[in-house]
Amino acid sequence: MNALVKLEITRALRNKKFLFFTVIYPAALFLMIGGTQTGSTRVLGTTLSLPAYFMVAMASFGALTAVLMGNSERIAKERESGWVRQLRLTALPGHGYVLAKVAGSAVVSLPAIVVVFAVAAATKGIRLETWQWAALTGAIWAGSLVFAALGVAIGYLVSGDTARPVTMIVYFALSILGGLWMPTAVYPQWLQDIARWLPTHAYASLGQAIELGSAPRPGDVALLAAYFVLFAGGAAWLYRKDTLKG
Amino acid sequence: MTTTTVKTAGTTVVSFQNVTKSYGRVRAVDGLTLDLHPGETVALLGPNGAGKSSTLDLLLGLRTPDSGTVRLFGGTPQQALARGRVGAMLQSGGLMEEVSVRELVALGCALHPNPYPVDEVLARAGVTALADRMVNKLSGGQEQRVRFALATAGSADLIVLDEPTTGMDVTTRQAFWATMREQADQGRSVLFATHYLEEADAVADRVVVLHRGRLLADGTAAEIKAKAGARRISFDLDPDPDPGPDPAIGPAPDPATAIGPDPASASGPSAAVAAQLRGLPHLTRAEIHGSTVRLQSRDADATVHALYGLGLYPRNLEVAGLGLEQAFIALTEAEEARP
Repeated sequence: MNALVKLEITRALRNKKFLFFTVIYPAALFLMIGGTQTGSTRVLGTTLSLPAYFMVAMASFGALTAVLMGNSERIAKERESGWVRQLRLTALPGHGYVLAKVAGSAVVSLPAIVVVFAVAAATKGIRLETWQWAALTGAIWAGSLVFAALGVAIGYLVSGDTARPVTMIVYFALSILGGLWMPTAVYPQWLQDIARWLPTHAYASLGQAIELGSAPRPGDVALLAAYFVLFAGGAAWLYRKDTLKG
Repeated sequence: MTTTTVKTAGTTVVSFQNVTKSYGRVRAVDGLTLDLHPGETVALLGPNGAGKSSTLDLLLGLRTPDSGTVRLFGGTPQQALARGRVGAMLQSGGLMEEVSVRELVALGCALHPNPYPVDEVLARAGVTALADRMVNKLSGGQEQRVRFALATAGSADLIVLDEPTTGMDVTTRQAFWATMREQADQGRSVLFATHYLEEADAVADRVVVLHRGRLLADGTAAEIKAKAGARRISFDLDPDPDPGPDPAIGPAPDPATAIGPDPASASGPSAAVAAQLRGLPHLTRAEIHGSTVRLQSRDADATVHALYGLGLYPRNLEVAGLGLEQAFIALTEAEEARP
């Protein structure tokens, strides 16, 4: 299975367009949105500066892009092309394909996180304790698994042609409503009430709590865990259905 | 090239026991019972929709039967695949894109429990020259060869091929079957589905004919042909047989009577003679067009003997074996005609 993971990573790193959107795009977006703000501007209702808020938001966004966009469309297309069938004729265990996909995207999501941090530290002078940088990286990276599971579920749910639009809708809805592009505090109350229950909202909150020097809130962790169970369970169920079809 | 001989003696390679599989109301496989033995090269033959691909899917565990059992080397298909005992090449099997041929074949080798060296696999499949090409830039025939490389990435006891030479040119096809024979000579069992009947005739030592998901015939190519009515007899017949000595070997005939106009010559043998012809023993088929007569017989020697016994003088008599293709058509037509 390591051979498949390695080849998936090689392929992902070779895909310039994918790398642009996962590694460069979030950092560029940080400069565009966060770059116009001064370090003294506070996010409504918190003591967090806007650049610090956007650094975590964009790192989370980059990781989300890497694990969601890459996997869903590719799995849907490779199911259609018959590559998944071909792999089932090898000694690779049945879940090996999915694990390789998740592992492959996790390797690309790490540079996406680190590049945003580096750009934020260099241009906006964001300074955190060493443990905070390490905890931020770890939390955002680990949290991306929730969305990797969602990507796999979408890949097994829809056809190759519809995978991209479906993923796009889910991706933008989760990003915007969850507060990855702007603080949810600027939304009307009813929208904030919805946003609070989105996995992306809890995901960004993990990093923001660490930036403020505390541990992630148990409520956010619990919500993310619940979503992970939901998405991974759904993906496993759809995978089995696909395997046993007919 | 590795020349190890595979030891599979004493075990049944593939065993189908009364296997049935339906898709909705269509019975794709209908009560199929079939055993494959070590070292056999078996062709799975049948018209489109006969259940060939479904049979291979069931054999490889890609689908589960509605009833009956499928065993490979005494275990489940999944167990056989996990142990690397089966190498398979399916038409529906896609390839990983955006990687090179070498990378993909290396992956196939890495996933196999008993892999061959990558260069050897590339050479055997004839894709060494394509090794650095990206998979999504290959032609259909080249893709087939890469699929074959994946199917032979390691030492397997059974090789399963679904329409393997589709998209290959004649030279590649011949090279392909030479490679396959090499595999079979090392003691591997080979099972292939094909619609090229000449391939089944030339390569397989056993032919299994499927029709509407059922086993229609099972035997050597020669036995299949025999079952369908093995030999073809053709000759020309003059309308009014001359009871006298054969003009070709007898004394030279009188030019006046030999060349005279014959009003019946265009219509061929009379109705009475046609009825006699149709009554010949061992016939499976009789066609009379003008003066040309074509017969198919299960026992050509006895039929020809009886033909002369009728006092007829067939000219240009030919007795030839029936091609597997004609045998196949005869078999499936007979099956279609059943109520």
